[in-house]
Amino acid sequence: MSQSGVSQAGRRPGVAGWLMLAPMLVWLAAFVVVPMAILAIYSFCERDELGRVVFSFSTDSYVRVFSPVYLGIFARSIGYAALTTAICIVLGFPVAWVIARASEAWRARLLLLVMIPFWTSFLIRTYAWLTILKSDGLLSALLQHIRIVGAPLELLYTPTAVVIGLVYAYLPFMILPIYASAEKLDVALIEAAHDLGCGPLRTFREVIVPLTKPGIYAGVLLVFVPAIGMFAITDLMGGARVPMIGNVIQNQFFQARDWPFGAALGVVFTLMFVVSYWILQRRSAAA
Amino acid sequence: MKIIRLLTAVSFLGFVSGTRAAELNLFAWSEYVPQTVIDGFTKETKIKVNYETFASGEEMLAKMLAGGASYDLVQPPDYIAEVLIRNKLLTPIDAKKLPNLKNVAPEFLGMPHDPEQKFTVPFMIGTVGIVVNTDVVKEPIRGYKDVFQPKFKNRIVVVNDNRELVSWVLVTLGLDQNDITPANLAKVKPVLAEWIKLVKVFDSDSPKTALLSGEVDLGVVWSGEAARLYEEDKKFAYILPEEGAHPFVDVMAIPANAENVDAAHKFLDYILRPEVSKLISDEFPYTNPNLEARKLLSEEQLENPASYPKIENYDTFRDIGKAATLIDQLVTDLKSAQ
Repeated sequence: MSQSGVSQAGRRPGVAGWLMLAPMLVWLAAFVVVPMAILAIYSFCERDELGRVVFSFSTDSYVRVFSPVYLGIFARSIGYAALTTAICIVLGFPVAWVIARASEAWRARLLLLVMIPFWTSFLIRTYAWLTILKSDGLLSALLQHIRIVGAPLELLYTPTAVVIGLVYAYLPFMILPIYASAEKLDVALIEAAHDLGCGPLRTFREVIVPLTKPGIYAGVLLVFVPAIGMFAITDLMGGARVPMIGNVIQNQFFQARDWPFGAALGVVFTLMFVVSYWILQRRSAAA
Repeated sequence: MKIIRLLTAVSFLGFVSGTRAAELNLFAWSEYVPQTVIDGFTKETKIKVNYETFASGEEMLAKMLAGGASYDLVQPPDYIAEVLIRNKLLTPIDAKKLPNLKNVAPEFLGMPHDPEQKFTVPFMIGTVGIVVNTDVVKEPIRGYKDVFQPKFKNRIVVVNDNRELVSWVLVTLGLDQNDITPANLAKVKPVLAEWIKLVKVFDSDSPKTALLSGEVDLGVVWSGEAARLYEEDKKFAYILPEEGAHPFVDVMAIPANAENVDAAHKFLDYILRPEVSKLISDEFPYTNPNLEARKLLSEEQLENPASYPKIENYDTFRDIGKAATLIDQLVTDLKSAQ
């Protein structure tokens, strides 16, 4: 319990409080703390001929993680995730704004539309994209029919297809937190900005964006972090041509049977999350 | 009233544990054992089959080593079976309980992974070979060298299996596919670097998809995938690369910690019956090692060049131990470099 928690509540949580917290604490210990500890320990171990983890101290895995090849893959994964996040903000913000400003009845309906895709398995939706993007697929046929392109589109199994897949998968995670911020925004503040002579652009920049910042930050965290580690989309829509960090980690546990190296990649990956979370927390606190 | 309910619960528990003996835990490749075969076995023997699946031999090995689950029957590929035998993780098979083992072609018994033929029963045999869409590619394709040409850039699909990729280059260079040493990999590197740049899709699960949709015109894929393509459309020709193609043998084996060894033997003998083995071939058109079952197949099935290619070399993959890491490193490096 934090200091402020104690002072606010005026007393420590009683037995009942701890009992209510217990399932959560057990869950955290069993599925977060213990696995992370195992990951950290494995990352300093070695493997035997069979691929079993041998408990002898070694930093070989970390030396490999920080070699140019894997640093390059980390950088590429971050690049894709950053581009995905940027596109998600550009596409997601107006949607979230419109939903937040809609009448109550419409708001519920529009929100439902954003969430409907989750009713179908993620993999099935990704396969649906294959039929849309393939060169004799829906998109290519449509664009050829209305004569925007002359030849069949070679879109599938390219980096563009990967970004399309990532944006599609994570867009709702950007829309929902921004919506939550935008809904709470007091319209009177915008009117006041207009009254005081702000143009639409300046109102947006100096009133709307700062007030929806918590939502934007939450969205960035929800999109950027998982997008770095995504491997199913790069395999299915990118044709597994260029490895992302998620693919490399997955390979260590199956094909290469090198769990210590996979664990070391996982540890570095997790530390990256922690650092990016920390930076965002600090910035949003400052804002 | 309460006591009666409690008693019912207890007797129910007893009933559950009593039937446990009549269960078989099967751990096999996804899409390899037809449901009709499993249902037929349960109907005849009253033994319930729990079919758990894996997607790669390495995944299977990892789960077996991790313990926790007890399997009665597993389906490793040849080189994983070799590892399991060497580490004493399998129970010997009692050939006396398998009268139908006589149906298996002799060339698939006593293979290098199980030279004494004590621990495994061959399930299906496959090869890795070249598929050509002959409607588009008119020139003759004989081997890897004909596939990996700059003019076919972005027209190729290959299985997403690093060891396969490396083995193709090794045989092209006239080296042994199982001799994974830093020196040999150094020779592989420049060739593989060029090949990887030409590939449009790496897909192990369903390489036929990209060929069917016309996204690519050439492929190096599992023979079962090629056989299904041929069934779909005769324009998909299957060619065993002239540089050398390796067959793979998927076997059935009983783990050392199996609880129901008897049921495992019953299941093995059941699927070795010609009429049952035929059902497997109908659904998964790999090379069936069961000669009696082959007699039941249609002319068309037997003439499928991907199901029954002329296999001249029986050099299968062998276990390479830690060298798997070297391969992974090399291919990751090359894929990232492009």
